[in-house]
Amino acid sequence: EFNDRNIRISNGINADHPVGNGIKAMQACLDEKSGGKLKITAFWGGALGGDLQATQALRSGVQEGVVTSSSPLVGIIPALGVFDLPFLFGTPQEAYTVLDGKFGDMMNEKLAAAGLVNLAYWENGFRNLSNSVRPVTKWEDFSGMKVRVMQNNIFLDTFQNLGANATPMAFGEVFSALETNAIDAQENPYVTIDTSKFFEVQKYITETNHAYTPFLLLFSKAIFDTYTPEEQAALRECAVVGRDEERKVIQDLNQKSLAKIKDAGLAVNTLSPEEQVRIREKSMIVYDKHKAEIGADVVDAILAELAAIRK
Amino acid sequence: MTLLIFIGSLLGAMAIGVPVAFALMFCGVILMWFMGMFNTQIIAQNMIAGADTFTLLAIPFFILAGELMNSGGLSRRIIDFAIACVGHIRGGLGIVAIMAAIIMASISGSAAADTAALAAILLPMMAKAGYNVPRAGGLIAAGGIIAPVIPPSMAFIVFGVAANVSITQLFMAGIVPGIMMGLSLVVAWLIVVRKDNVQPLPKALMSERLTATGRALWALGMPVIILGGIKAGIMTPTEAAVIAAAYAMFVGMVIYRELKPRDLPRVILQAAKTTSVIMFLVCAALVSAWLITAANIPAEIAGYIEPLIDRPMLLMFVIMVLVLVVGTALDLTPTILILTPVLMPIIKQAGIDPVYFGVMFIMNNCIGLITPPVGVVLNVVSGVGRIPLGKVTAGVWPFLLAQTIVLFLLVLFPDLVLVPARWLH
Amino acid sequence: MQKAIDLFYRFLELLLIVLLSGMAIMVFVNVIMRYGFNSGLNVSEELSRYFFVWLTFIGAVVAFREHGHLGIETLVMFLSRRGRIICMGLANLVIIVCSVIFFWGTWKQFPINASMAAPVTGMSMIWVYGIGLFTGAGMAIIALERLIRLLTGRVTDEEIAAFAGENLTIEQLAERT
Ligand code: NA
Ligand code: NA
Repeated sequence: EFNDRNIRISNGINADHPVGNGIKAMQACLDEKSGGKLKITAFWGGALGGDLQATQALRSGVQEGVVTSSSPLVGIIPALGVFDLPFLFGTPQEAYTVLDGKFGDMMNEKLAAAGLVNLAYWENGFRNLSNSVRPVTKWEDFSGMKVRVMQNNIFLDTFQNLGANATPMAFGEVFSALETNAIDAQENPYVTIDTSKFFEVQKYITETNHAYTPFLLLFSKAIFDTYTPEEQAALRECAVVGRDEERKVIQDLNQKSLAKIKDAGLAVNTLSPEEQVRIREKSMIVYDKHKAEIGADVVDAILAELAAIRK
Repeated sequence: MTLLIFIGSLLGAMAIGVPVAFALMFCGVILMWFMGMFNTQIIAQNMIAGADTFTLLAIPFFILAGELMNSGGLSRRIIDFAIACVGHIRGGLGIVAIMAAIIMASISGSAAADTAALAAILLPMMAKAGYNVPRAGGLIAAGGIIAPVIPPSMAFIVFGVAANVSITQLFMAGIVPGIMMGLSLVVAWLIVVRKDNVQPLPKALMSERLTATGRALWALGMPVIILGGIKAGIMTPTEAAVIAAAYAMFVGMVIYRELKPRDLPRVILQAAKTTSVIMFLVCAALVSAWLITAANIPAEIAGYIEPLIDRPMLLMFVIMVLVLVVGTALDLTPTILILTPVLMPIIKQAGIDPVYFGVMFIMNNCIGLITPPVGVVLNVVSGVGRIPLGKVTAGVWPFLLAQTIVLFLLVLFPDLVLVPARWLH
Repeated sequence: MQKAIDLFYRFLELLLIVLLSGMAIMVFVNVIMRYGFNSGLNVSEELSRYFFVWLTFIGAVVAFREHGHLGIETLVMFLSRRGRIICMGLANLVIIVCSVIFFWGTWKQFPINASMAAPVTGMSMIWVYGIGLFTGAGMAIIALERLIRLLTGRVTDEEIAAFAGENLTIEQLAERT
């Protein structure tokens, strides 16, 4: 039972981002399942407004879908702050297991209560730190560094706790601020550091993997509920097809971006396993501080699940 | 078809005298009704989200800085400085007007406010010296419209937010084209004033020049702070705007002592009202922009101009002619807000540099401020100088022509904009 | 009655002055703190933006009362008094429709905004987005009052002149560039 549907999905990123590959794969899957009746129209580069604005549009049933990071949505669903906690996931595999499993479902229920159907967890990826001051290989190296962070209390606390001078700044202003040394450092996934050309004005990069932010492929619950069960099932299944493609492409692209950054002459550093453990332990203070607002059950649940995986 | 609905409802509403902001909301309502997605929340949400943008905060602060510049006696000092520098040469007061217009443009972003200040001080002097008054008025109008091209500029901020283009880059790219507009006025002025028999002012003594410069120094410091701060990356445009306002207040109150504490509420209230009018329009335009995007209207237009996509220069030429025509009837901010969401996807598709396009688009819209039948800056000169509108219109055409020639020169040679922009950024 | 209304608008004007000054002070202090003391108030970035929203939508009502929103009067200008009155009626009708939709949409979105917290201050976003109720209602009332006076023939010649874009002040012209 399929009807003709125009599904508008907006994004803050550009069409050449791996999310574009994911949307294509999802459309191919939908074409097959619905005989071409379910059509996605994607709007890139924030053409239909910012992530938060688009998400609110979903909740009011004005727009069908959005691909957004979890971070901007903590004002709507405080539990999503859990993904902003520093050094939560160690590897992409850990993230996939947790997100595609029981914990992911638990978060999906919270999203549904706010009028949002999360079709699947796509990937924005691990965030890494670049700077123009010194190689960062241990806790002490962060000291006094002016780091641009998102307007997000957990990120602010994470970097302040590391001893850095965390400065919230709009994304569009980061490049020139780095260029003129108004700030020393920024943190983003490799792909973003590459496509936004931040590496051109930085000297060092460290694979800190300090946060893994998922992309949520959200659908308006108000609209979703009017769809037939077959349409709903097709959307859910094809979102997973798109997810797998997007994760594959972004992993490849991450490596390509890193290679490009290396070629540009940046010194690439990593944190030693001991240092990783040390920083993670020292960062637990941020967990404690934000546990109440995120929800103790949520934090405990994800830590328990991670402990089980790591055993 | 959606394109026709959009244009028809917008123009129809504007024609019966609906204010532009409401006409934009109205065409949004018609569009969503036509697309079968009528939902009042689309209007409500996009309206408010439009104002909730930190970058746009630069607008009230630059408006405030401009108001304080005029109330605090900074404009007067700038004009005195220009008189001391170039008042004695042939056609001197005209050159003074152009020089002062460029300096004031680098402090304020409002064409009308700058024009009013220039006209109030210079027109009586020029009349007394025997210049053809309507022509002098035309020159001042044409000088006034440089304000939004040279930074700071509300027009660039509105365009930058609507088109998602760096405001800092737009600011830096506007400097040289703005000065070129001024130089074209000098050429046009020297040609038309040639036959006039006007006694130039006596040459200022060195001591007089130094005094005038000294007095103006505080005012001249303002562009240095604004541009220097943004250029050095120390400040965002929003922060530079608030520093500019604070500086203008300090100079007006403490140094020149022309601004009294009791004047402040009036000046701030005027800036607040101007801000509301501009911002309400911006918000309404974001409603229609959302629906234009959701209705895929840019794709529809791109279909019509498909053959031009591979020929960017010809495309620029066609768009510039179109904007010039629209500008005869529509004011600066509405034109930016209505056309940006429609044109930007096409510009990107054609591979035209968005910063270059932004500068050209704003310059063109500024020229629209002095083209009849609706030329707001002409109205300002007519009002302040008590000259009939028709006479100012007749006086403006040599300068209008000169600036239009500059515009099309820049269509032919984009590097004239792009190279200095790269150098300055 | 008229006195009370005037007093109300004086209050709104005072509010506008407070909002713009507040924004300027918050941003200014933040610049000084960031570059002078290497720190900043995250609250002020957020709060200044919300002041800006309030300023815009309160000021829009004040400006509407003063015929401050710019229009294109090119055609209306050439009409007779009668033609102008007809256009004025239609224009006010369009404004009422838009304002009511703005009000209604804000009302329907009330729960969605009330359940969202601002990232730094944690304030409920209905305080920001709810301003649509004030602006939508305010403008609808002003336009409705004008429409009623038009229909009952109590509209003044000054208002008609203002509608046709005559006698604009320099301040009003400045708002157009
Ligand atoms: Na300017
Ligand atoms: Na015009």
